[in-house]
Amino acid sequence: MKTKKFRILKIWKYVVAVCMTLVITGGILINIPKIPILEETARNIFFHVPMWMSMFSMFAISFYFSISYLNTPDLKKDIKAESAAKVGIVFGVCGLLTGSLWARFTWGTWWTFAEPKMNLAALAVMIYYAYFVLRSAFDDEEKRAKLSAVYNIFAVTTIPFLLYIVPRQLESLHPGAEGNPAFSEITAPELRYILYPAFIGFIALACWIYNVVYRYKMVQHQLENS
Amino acid sequence: MKIRLQDVPQATVDTLTSTYSEKWDGVEQIEQTNAFIHFMYSNDLIFVVLGVTLIIWFVLLFFLIRVDKKVSSLESKINSDENYEA
Repeated sequence: MKTKKFRILKIWKYVVAVCMTLVITGGILINIPKIPILEETARNIFFHVPMWMSMFSMFAISFYFSISYLNTPDLKKDIKAESAAKVGIVFGVCGLLTGSLWARFTWGTWWTFAEPKMNLAALAVMIYYAYFVLRSAFDDEEKRAKLSAVYNIFAVTTIPFLLYIVPRQLESLHPGAEGNPAFSEITAPELRYILYPAFIGFIALACWIYNVVYRYKMVQHQLENS
Repeated sequence: MKIRLQDVPQATVDTLTSTYSEKWDGVEQIEQTNAFIHFMYSNDLIFVVLGVTLIIWFVLLFFLIRVDKKVSSLESKINSDENYEA
């Protein structure tokens, strides 16, 4: 056993490391068009928006395993759903914090109740927080898995409404309010060379963290039942 | 004319600047420094921000890799125990 104490990482994890390094370097160094008020903070798009994309992907993974659990009960799937939701919340909180800081220096306030996307995003994170409150209420593993899977399916259906459909109909400081294009026509093309790799890099990073959290929980689960 | 200390508010509050300003003002000595420092001072110090961000990223990455490897070793330990029992 001593000889192969540490397994070498999978190749895609090295790809994540390189991709993220390039995104950070490029995001800070490329020339971007100067827009009044935004100025250099336009670079935040490379870091703030991918937080939400990573959160969506993690919640989608969680949703998939919850449905899958209800089809064929298997505690592994429940642990996968739980780990993905947990990593999703972490990215959601990062998105809220970065958004709040950005808002302070462009919109002039840390938090405003006049901004629907901001508040509904916070609500979405809280709905997922309730998932963990619900989980903590059960001692029986199978009952916990089944009920939290049902709740998770409810929770994921709120996400498109809270973060996409409703905020885009209302008046908002975010791009894409009142049915306007959010991104396609108003964003300078050079931002995309960094933004799309940033989406890939951050989503893959979220997958990596999810992978580690899931394996940690599996080891914990095996130890408790041995 | 004698200037009393309380008539000059800056002097009472800001004693450090006059004493240390030459030592703080790194740009003054830029000609004497090496190419790396020269590079870091260019473009309104943006490379300092890049450096700070990259340090944070590499530390987090290193930490994540370590945890990943530790979980791997725990997994292989548990699996080998199971095989031993079987």
